[in-house]
Amino acid sequence: MSPSPDQPKKPEDGRREGIASPPPSFDAQILALLPQLRRYSRSLTRSDAESDDLLQDCVEKALVNRAQWRGANIRAWAYRIMTNLHLNARRAVARRPSVGIEEAEGVVSNVLATDPLERNRLVRALEDLPDDARAVLMLVAVEGHSYQEVAGIMEIPLGTVMSRLSRARQMLRQKLQEENVIHLRSPR
Amino acid sequence: MNETHPVPEAELHAYADGLLDETGRKRVEAHLAENPETARMVADWQAQNDGLRNAFAGYATTRPSDLLLVAGAKSPRAPRHSALAAAAVLVFALGGLAGHFGPALFEKPPAQTAIEALPHEARNAYLIYASEVRHPVEVFADQEAHLATWLGKRLSIADMKVPNLQTLGFKLVGGRLLPVADKPGAMFMYENETGQRITVLIGRNEDNRETSFRVAAADNVETFYWIDGALGYAVTGDIPRDLLQQIAEECYRQFPT
Repeated sequence: MSPSPDQPKKPEDGRREGIASPPPSFDAQILALLPQLRRYSRSLTRSDAESDDLLQDCVEKALVNRAQWRGANIRAWAYRIMTNLHLNARRAVARRPSVGIEEAEGVVSNVLATDPLERNRLVRALEDLPDDARAVLMLVAVEGHSYQEVAGIMEIPLGTVMSRLSRARQMLRQKLQEENVIHLRSPR
Repeated sequence: MNETHPVPEAELHAYADGLLDETGRKRVEAHLAENPETARMVADWQAQNDGLRNAFAGYATTRPSDLLLVAGAKSPRAPRHSALAAAAVLVFALGGLAGHFGPALFEKPPAQTAIEALPHEARNAYLIYASEVRHPVEVFADQEAHLATWLGKRLSIADMKVPNLQTLGFKLVGGRLLPVADKPGAMFMYENETGQRITVLIGRNEDNRETSFRVAAADNVETFYWIDGALGYAVTGDIPRDLLQQIAEECYRQFPT
Protein backbone atom coordinates (compact mmCIF):
# COMPACT_ATOMS: atom_id res chain seq x y z
CA MET A 1 0.00 0.00 0.00
CA SER A 2 1.48 3.29 -1.08
CA PRO A 3 1.50 6.22 1.28
CA SER A 4 -1.28 8.66 0.82
CA PRO A 5 -0.25 11.70 -1.21
CA ASP A 6 -2.45 13.82 0.97
CA GLN A 7 -0.46 13.04 4.04
CA PRO A 8 0.84 16.31 5.42
CA LYS A 9 4.56 16.72 5.08
CA LYS A 10 6.44 16.71 8.30
CA PRO A 11 8.98 19.40 8.85
CA GLU A 12 12.42 18.00 8.28
CA ASP A 13 15.14 17.74 10.78
CA GLY A 14 12.98 18.59 13.75
CA ARG A 15 12.79 22.24 12.78
CA ARG A 16 9.45 23.93 12.97
CA GLU A 17 9.63 25.19 9.45
CA GLY A 18 5.93 25.67 8.93
CA ILE A 19 5.82 28.22 11.70
CA ALA A 20 7.43 31.56 11.12
CA SER A 21 9.99 31.76 13.88
CA PRO A 22 9.43 34.81 16.05
CA PRO A 23 11.87 37.65 15.50
CA PRO A 24 14.75 37.66 17.96
CA SER A 25 13.98 39.67 21.05
CA PHE A 26 15.28 43.18 21.46
CA ASP A 27 17.74 41.99 24.10
CA ALA A 28 18.97 39.21 21.84
CA GLN A 29 19.57 41.63 18.99
CA ILE A 30 21.55 43.97 21.20
CA LEU A 31 23.50 41.01 22.51
CA ALA A 32 24.37 39.99 18.95
CA LEU A 33 25.58 43.51 18.17
CA LEU A 34 27.91 43.70 21.17
CA PRO A 35 31.10 42.54 19.43
CA GLN A 36 30.91 45.20 16.71
CA LEU A 37 29.79 47.84 19.17
CA ARG A 38 32.74 46.91 21.36
CA ARG A 39 35.08 47.36 18.41
CA TYR A 40 33.51 50.69 17.48
CA SER A 41 33.65 51.84 21.08
CA ARG A 42 37.36 51.07 21.31
CA SER A 43 38.06 52.77 17.99
CA LEU A 44 36.49 56.00 19.28
CA THR A 45 38.10 56.07 22.69
CA ARG A 46 41.57 56.27 24.10
CA SER A 47 41.75 53.34 26.45
CA ASP A 48 40.16 49.98 27.16
CA ALA A 49 38.52 51.30 30.32
CA GLU A 50 37.02 54.28 28.52
CA SER A 51 35.82 51.94 25.81
CA ASP A 52 34.15 49.59 28.31
CA ASP A 53 32.37 52.52 29.91
CA LEU A 54 31.12 53.83 26.59
CA LEU A 55 29.86 50.40 25.60
CA GLN A 56 28.07 49.97 28.90
CA ASP A 57 26.50 53.43 28.69
CA CYS A 58 25.38 52.69 25.14
CA VAL A 59 23.75 49.38 26.08
CA GLU A 60 22.05 50.94 29.08
CA LYS A 61 20.73 53.78 26.98
CA ALA A 62 19.52 51.41 24.28
CA LEU A 63 17.68 49.30 26.85
CA VAL A 64 16.14 52.30 28.56
CA ASN A 65 15.08 53.84 25.26
CA ARG A 66 13.92 50.65 23.62
CA ALA A 67 10.49 52.23 23.12
CA GLN A 68 12.08 54.78 20.77
CA TRP A 69 13.38 52.10 18.49
CA ARG A 70 11.12 52.07 15.41
CA GLY A 71 11.65 48.45 14.61
CA ALA A 72 13.96 49.03 11.67
CA ASN A 73 17.72 48.78 11.51
CA ILE A 74 18.61 48.32 15.14
CA ARG A 75 22.27 48.30 14.13
CA ALA A 76 22.25 51.88 12.83
CA TRP A 77 20.18 52.91 15.82
CA ALA A 78 22.70 51.43 18.26
CA TYR A 79 25.61 53.06 16.42
CA ARG A 80 23.81 56.39 16.62
CA ILE A 81 23.37 56.05 20.37
CA MET A 82 27.03 55.27 20.86
CA THR A 83 28.22 58.05 18.55
CA ASN A 84 26.05 60.64 20.29
CA LEU A 85 27.05 59.51 23.76
CA HIS A 86 30.69 59.71 22.85
CA LEU A 87 30.62 63.06 21.07
CA ASN A 88 28.50 64.63 23.82
CA ALA A 89 30.81 63.34 26.51
CA ARG A 90 33.86 64.61 24.66
CA ARG A 91 32.27 68.01 24.19
CA ALA A 92 31.43 68.20 27.86
CA VAL A 93 34.80 67.16 29.20
CA ALA A 94 38.03 68.89 28.52
CA ARG A 95 40.38 66.85 26.36
CA ARG A 96 42.12 64.30 28.43
CA PRO A 97 45.68 63.31 27.70
CA SER A 98 45.86 60.48 25.23
CA VAL A 99 46.38 56.93 26.25
CA GLY A 100 49.85 55.65 26.93
CA ILE A 101 51.53 53.32 24.51
CA GLU A 102 51.18 50.48 27.01
CA GLU A 103 47.49 50.48 26.46
CA ALA A 104 47.75 51.01 22.76
CA GLU A 105 49.66 47.74 22.76
CA GLY A 106 46.29 46.13 22.89
CA VAL A 107 45.87 46.34 19.17
CA VAL A 108 46.90 44.13 16.31
CA SER A 109 47.58 45.27 12.82
CA ASN A 110 49.32 43.66 9.94
CA VAL A 111 49.27 46.19 7.16
CA LEU A 112 50.04 49.63 8.36
CA ALA A 113 52.26 47.12 9.56
CA THR A 114 52.86 43.80 11.09
CA ASP A 115 55.26 46.05 12.86
CA PRO A 116 54.01 47.03 16.33
CA LEU A 117 55.74 50.38 15.99
CA GLU A 118 53.73 51.19 12.89
CA ARG A 119 50.58 50.04 14.62
CA ASN A 120 51.25 52.30 17.56
CA ARG A 121 52.03 55.17 15.25
CA LEU A 122 48.66 54.79 13.57
CA VAL A 123 46.74 54.55 16.83
CA ARG A 124 48.60 57.53 18.25
CA ALA A 125 47.93 59.53 15.10
CA LEU A 126 44.22 58.98 15.67
CA GLU A 127 44.42 60.85 18.93
CA ASP A 128 44.95 64.11 17.11
CA LEU A 129 41.84 63.84 14.99
CA PRO A 130 38.77 65.86 15.91
CA ASP A 131 36.28 63.49 17.53
CA ASP A 132 33.61 63.95 14.89
CA ALA A 133 36.03 63.29 12.03
CA ARG A 134 37.40 60.26 13.84
CA ALA A 135 33.89 58.88 14.27
CA VAL A 136 33.18 59.23 10.55
CA LEU A 137 36.42 57.51 9.62
CA MET A 138 35.81 54.63 12.04
CA LEU A 139 32.24 54.15 10.87
CA VAL A 140 33.43 53.96 7.27
CA ALA A 141 36.79 52.22 7.49
CA VAL A 142 36.36 49.90 10.47
CA GLU A 143 32.61 49.39 10.74
CA GLY A 144 31.95 49.28 7.00
CA HIS A 145 29.03 51.70 6.79
CA SER A 146 28.17 53.48 3.56
CA TYR A 147 28.43 57.27 3.50
CA GLN A 148 24.64 57.50 3.44
CA GLU A 149 24.40 55.27 6.52
CA VAL A 150 26.96 57.43 8.32
CA ALA A 151 24.89 60.51 7.48
CA GLY A 152 21.91 58.77 9.08
CA ILE A 153 23.81 57.59 12.13
CA MET A 154 25.34 60.99 12.83
CA GLU A 155 22.32 62.93 11.60
CA ILE A 156 24.41 65.18 9.39
CA PRO A 157 24.23 65.95 5.66
CA LEU A 158 26.12 63.71 3.24
CA GLY A 159 28.39 66.63 2.34
CA THR A 160 29.45 66.93 5.96
CA VAL A 161 30.23 63.23 6.07
CA MET A 162 32.50 63.65 3.06
CA SER A 163 34.29 66.70 4.40
CA ARG A 164 34.91 65.04 7.77
CA LEU A 165 36.14 61.88 6.09
CA SER A 166 38.46 63.92 3.91
CA ARG A 167 39.76 65.87 6.87
CA ALA A 168 40.38 62.71 8.91
CA ARG A 169 42.27 61.03 6.08
CA GLN A 170 44.41 64.03 5.23
CA MET A 171 45.29 64.67 8.86
CA LEU A 172 46.16 61.05 9.41
CA ARG A 173 48.28 60.95 6.29
CA GLN A 174 50.12 64.09 7.22
CA LYS A 175 50.67 62.92 10.77
CA LEU A 176 52.04 59.57 9.66
CA GLN A 177 54.35 61.16 7.13
CA GLU A 178 55.68 63.61 9.69
CA GLU A 179 56.25 60.93 12.26
CA ASN A 180 57.99 58.76 9.78
CA VAL A 181 61.02 61.00 10.03
CA ILE A 182 63.64 59.52 12.28
CA HIS A 183 65.55 62.16 14.16
CA LEU A 184 69.15 61.14 14.58
CA ARG A 185 71.15 62.35 17.48
CA SER A 186 73.41 65.19 16.55
CA PRO A 187 76.91 63.90 15.78
CA ARG A 188 79.44 64.07 18.53
CA MET B 1 45.59 66.63 -12.88
CA ASN B 2 44.27 65.30 -16.13
CA GLU B 3 41.45 67.67 -16.98
CA THR B 4 39.84 65.30 -19.45
CA HIS B 5 38.98 62.86 -16.65
CA PRO B 6 37.94 65.02 -13.74
CA VAL B 7 37.24 62.84 -10.73
CA PRO B 8 35.68 64.48 -7.70
CA GLU B 9 37.33 63.76 -4.36
CA ALA B 10 34.20 62.06 -3.07
CA GLU B 11 34.66 59.48 -5.78
CA LEU B 12 38.26 58.88 -4.75
CA HIS B 13 37.07 58.18 -1.21
CA ALA B 14 34.39 55.85 -2.51
CA TYR B 15 37.06 54.07 -4.53
CA ALA B 16 39.32 53.68 -1.51
CA ASP B 17 36.36 52.32 0.46
CA GLY B 18 35.34 49.87 -2.23
CA LEU B 19 31.98 51.53 -2.69
CA LEU B 20 32.13 52.04 -6.47
CA ASP B 21 30.68 49.83 -9.16
CA GLU B 22 32.78 48.43 -12.00
CA THR B 23 32.38 51.50 -14.22
CA GLY B 24 33.28 53.88 -11.44
CA ARG B 25 36.30 51.82 -10.43
CA LYS B 26 37.64 51.83 -13.98
CA ARG B 27 37.15 55.56 -14.31
CA VAL B 28 39.04 56.21 -11.08
CA GLU B 29 41.79 53.76 -11.97
CA ALA B 30 42.29 55.47 -15.32
CA HIS B 31 42.56 58.77 -13.50
CA LEU B 32 45.00 57.41 -10.93
CA ALA B 33 47.17 55.92 -13.65
CA GLU B 34 47.76 59.41 -15.00
CA ASN B 35 48.06 61.15 -11.64
CA PRO B 36 50.72 59.46 -9.55
CA GLU B 37 50.47 61.99 -6.72
CA THR B 38 46.74 61.32 -6.35
CA ALA B 39 47.42 57.60 -6.69
CA ARG B 40 49.85 57.75 -3.76
CA MET B 41 47.27 59.58 -1.68
CA VAL B 42 44.56 57.04 -2.40
CA ALA B 43 46.96 54.19 -1.71
CA ASP B 44 47.74 55.80 1.65
CA TRP B 45 44.04 56.01 2.44
CA GLN B 46 43.66 52.34 1.64
CA ALA B 47 46.62 51.49 3.83
CA GLN B 48 44.98 53.54 6.61
CA ASN B 49 41.79 51.55 6.16
CA ASP B 50 43.61 48.25 6.41
CA GLY B 51 45.65 49.41 9.36
CA LEU B 52 42.61 50.67 11.23
CA ARG B 53 40.59 47.55 10.54
CA ASN B 54 43.40 45.40 11.79
CA ALA B 55 44.06 47.60 14.77
CA PHE B 56 40.56 47.19 16.13
CA ALA B 57 39.47 43.83 14.73
CA GLY B 58 40.52 42.05 17.89
CA TYR B 59 37.99 43.97 19.93
CA ALA B 60 35.02 42.56 18.03
CA THR B 61 34.61 39.67 20.43
CA THR B 62 31.99 38.35 22.75
CA ARG B 63 32.78 38.26 26.43
CA PRO B 64 31.38 36.24 29.28
CA SER B 65 30.07 39.48 30.73
CA ASP B 66 27.94 40.26 27.67
CA LEU B 67 24.81 38.72 29.11
CA LEU B 68 25.38 40.67 32.28
CA LEU B 69 25.67 43.83 30.24
CA VAL B 70 22.40 43.29 28.45
CA ALA B 71 20.65 41.90 31.49
CA GLY B 72 20.33 45.37 32.67
CA ALA B 73 21.19 48.71 33.97
CA LYS B 74 20.36 47.44 37.45
CA SER B 75 23.66 45.68 37.87
CA PRO B 76 26.50 47.57 39.48
CA ARG B 77 29.48 47.97 37.22
CA ALA B 78 32.36 48.24 39.64
CA PRO B 79 33.05 44.52 40.21
CA ARG B 80 33.23 43.87 36.50
CA HIS B 81 36.04 46.33 35.94
CA SER B 82 38.11 45.21 38.86
CA ALA B 83 37.77 41.59 37.82
CA LEU B 84 38.78 42.48 34.30
CA ALA B 85 41.72 44.49 35.51
CA ALA B 86 42.94 41.66 37.71
CA ALA B 87 42.62 39.21 34.85
CA ALA B 88 44.42 41.59 32.55
CA VAL B 89 47.36 41.81 34.93
CA LEU B 90 47.52 38.04 35.05
CA VAL B 91 47.46 37.73 31.28
CA PHE B 92 50.14 40.38 31.05
CA ALA B 93 52.34 38.46 33.43
CA LEU B 94 51.79 35.18 31.64
CA GLY B 95 52.36 36.82 28.27
CA GLY B 96 55.62 38.27 29.50
CA LEU B 97 56.78 34.93 30.79
CA ALA B 98 55.79 33.18 27.62
CA GLY B 99 57.78 35.71 25.70
CA HIS B 100 55.29 36.75 23.07
CA PHE B 101 54.14 40.17 24.07
CA GLY B 102 52.08 41.16 21.06
CA PRO B 103 49.42 38.51 20.73
CA ALA B 104 49.34 37.58 24.39
CA LEU B 105 48.73 41.16 25.38
CA PHE B 106 46.00 41.58 22.94
CA GLU B 107 44.02 38.53 23.82
CA LYS B 108 41.04 39.54 25.86
CA PRO B 109 41.44 38.02 29.27
CA PRO B 110 38.68 35.72 30.42
CA ALA B 111 36.84 37.99 32.82
CA GLN B 112 36.23 35.35 35.40
CA THR B 113 36.95 31.74 36.01
CA ALA B 114 34.15 29.46 34.93
CA ILE B 115 33.02 28.81 38.48
CA GLU B 116 32.73 32.54 39.08
CA ALA B 117 31.04 33.18 35.78
CA LEU B 118 28.50 30.41 36.10
CA PRO B 119 26.13 31.94 38.67
CA HIS B 120 26.34 35.32 36.93
CA GLU B 121 25.50 33.86 33.59
CA ALA B 122 22.80 31.67 35.03
CA ARG B 123 21.24 34.66 36.73
CA ASN B 124 21.36 36.76 33.60
CA ALA B 125 19.97 34.03 31.41
CA TYR B 126 17.15 33.76 33.92
CA LEU B 127 16.56 37.52 33.95
CA ILE B 128 16.51 37.73 30.19
CA TYR B 129 14.48 34.70 29.31
CA ALA B 130 12.24 33.89 32.25
CA SER B 131 10.31 37.09 31.65
CA GLU B 132 9.98 36.47 27.92
CA VAL B 133 6.38 35.85 27.00
CA ARG B 134 6.55 34.99 23.33
CA HIS B 135 9.80 33.12 22.91
CA PRO B 136 11.40 32.17 26.18
CA VAL B 137 12.96 29.12 24.52
CA GLU B 138 14.10 28.06 21.07
CA VAL B 139 12.74 24.52 21.22
CA PHE B 140 9.58 23.83 23.14
CA ALA B 141 8.76 20.92 25.41
CA ASP B 142 6.78 19.13 22.73
CA GLN B 143 10.13 18.28 21.11
CA GLU B 144 11.92 17.18 24.23
CA ALA B 145 13.82 14.35 22.56
CA HIS B 146 15.08 16.64 19.82
CA LEU B 147 16.01 19.22 22.44
CA ALA B 148 18.11 16.71 24.37
CA THR B 149 19.89 15.43 21.26
CA TRP B 150 20.53 18.88 19.85
CA LEU B 151 21.90 20.43 23.04
CA GLY B 152 23.72 17.23 23.93
CA LYS B 153 25.54 17.41 20.62
CA ARG B 154 26.49 21.06 21.10
CA LEU B 155 27.87 20.37 24.56
CA SER B 156 29.42 17.02 23.68
CA ILE B 157 27.28 15.20 26.20
CA ALA B 158 26.49 11.77 24.80
CA ASP B 159 23.42 11.01 26.87
CA MET B 160 22.04 14.42 27.65
CA LYS B 161 18.89 14.13 29.72
CA VAL B 162 16.42 16.88 30.32
CA PRO B 163 15.64 16.74 34.03
CA ASN B 164 12.08 15.84 34.92
CA LEU B 165 10.85 18.11 37.71
CA GLN B 166 7.18 17.16 37.66
CA THR B 167 7.26 15.78 41.21
CA LEU B 168 8.23 19.25 42.39
CA GLY B 169 5.46 20.86 40.40
CA PHE B 170 7.57 22.22 37.53
CA LYS B 171 6.88 21.33 33.91
CA LEU B 172 9.39 21.77 31.11
CA VAL B 173 8.76 24.82 28.93
CA GLY B 174 11.68 24.08 26.59
CA GLY B 175 15.30 24.97 26.09
CA ARG B 176 17.79 27.01 24.18
CA LEU B 177 21.45 27.23 23.30
CA LEU B 178 23.34 29.96 25.15
CA PRO B 179 26.93 31.07 25.44
CA VAL B 180 28.30 30.05 28.83
CA ALA B 181 31.81 31.35 29.38
CA ASP B 182 32.10 31.76 25.61
CA LYS B 183 31.27 28.14 24.91
CA PRO B 184 28.00 26.52 23.90
CA GLY B 185 25.78 26.02 26.90
CA ALA B 186 22.30 24.67 27.42
CA MET B 187 19.40 26.27 29.21
CA PHE B 188 16.23 24.48 30.20
CA MET B 189 13.24 26.38 31.46
CA TYR B 190 10.47 25.09 33.70
CA GLU B 191 7.22 26.59 34.88
CA ASN B 192 4.84 25.71 37.70
CA GLU B 193 1.07 26.07 37.77
CA THR B 194 1.19 29.64 39.00
CA GLY B 195 3.50 30.63 36.14
CA GLN B 196 6.69 30.90 38.21
CA ARG B 197 9.72 29.94 36.19
CA ILE B 198 13.09 28.45 36.97
CA THR B 199 16.00 27.82 34.65
CA VAL B 200 18.67 25.14 34.57
CA LEU B 201 21.92 26.09 32.89
CA ILE B 202 24.67 23.71 31.80
CA GLY B 203 28.08 24.84 30.64
CA ARG B 204 31.20 22.94 29.73
CA ASN B 205 34.70 23.88 30.79
CA GLU B 206 37.46 21.36 30.44
CA ASP B 207 39.59 23.15 33.00
CA ASN B 208 37.14 22.60 35.80
CA ARG B 209 37.62 19.87 38.30
CA GLU B 210 35.71 21.28 41.19
CA THR B 211 32.69 19.67 42.76
CA SER B 212 30.80 21.54 45.37
CA PHE B 213 27.33 22.83 45.88
CA ARG B 214 27.09 26.58 46.17
CA VAL B 215 24.47 29.24 46.29
CA ALA B 216 24.53 32.79 44.98
CA ALA B 217 21.79 35.31 45.59
CA ALA B 218 21.08 38.79 44.30
CA ASP B 219 17.81 40.59 44.89
CA ASN B 220 15.29 37.81 45.03
CA VAL B 221 16.92 35.69 42.38
CA GLU B 222 18.93 32.78 43.70
CA THR B 223 21.20 30.35 41.93
CA PHE B 224 22.35 26.95 43.12
CA TYR B 225 25.35 25.78 41.18
CA TRP B 226 27.93 23.07 41.14
CA ILE B 227 30.68 21.74 38.95
CA ASP B 228 30.86 18.10 38.12
CA GLY B 229 33.90 17.19 36.11
CA ALA B 230 33.97 19.39 33.05
CA LEU B 231 30.34 20.36 33.35
CA GLY B 232 28.94 23.19 35.40
CA TYR B 233 25.29 23.28 36.41
CA ALA B 234 23.22 26.16 37.72
CA VAL B 235 19.61 26.26 38.84
CA THR B 236 18.13 29.73 39.06
CA GLY B 237 14.78 31.03 40.18
CA ASP B 238 12.82 33.56 42.14
CA ILE B 239 11.18 31.03 44.45
CA PRO B 240 11.75 30.04 48.08
CA ARG B 241 15.26 28.78 48.66
CA ASP B 242 14.11 25.46 50.10
CA LEU B 243 12.20 24.64 46.96
CA LEU B 244 15.03 25.81 44.72
CA GLN B 245 17.44 23.61 46.62
CA GLN B 246 15.15 20.61 46.22
CA ILE B 247 15.07 21.29 42.49
CA ALA B 248 18.83 21.58 42.36
CA GLU B 249 19.23 18.31 44.23
CA GLU B 250 16.74 16.64 41.93
CA CYS B 251 18.70 17.85 38.89
CA TYR B 252 21.93 16.66 40.47
CA ARG B 253 20.41 13.19 40.90
CA GLN B 254 19.12 13.07 37.35
CA PHE B 255 22.12 14.37 35.46
CA PRO B 256 24.52 11.59 34.51
CA THR B 257 27.78 11.77 36.39
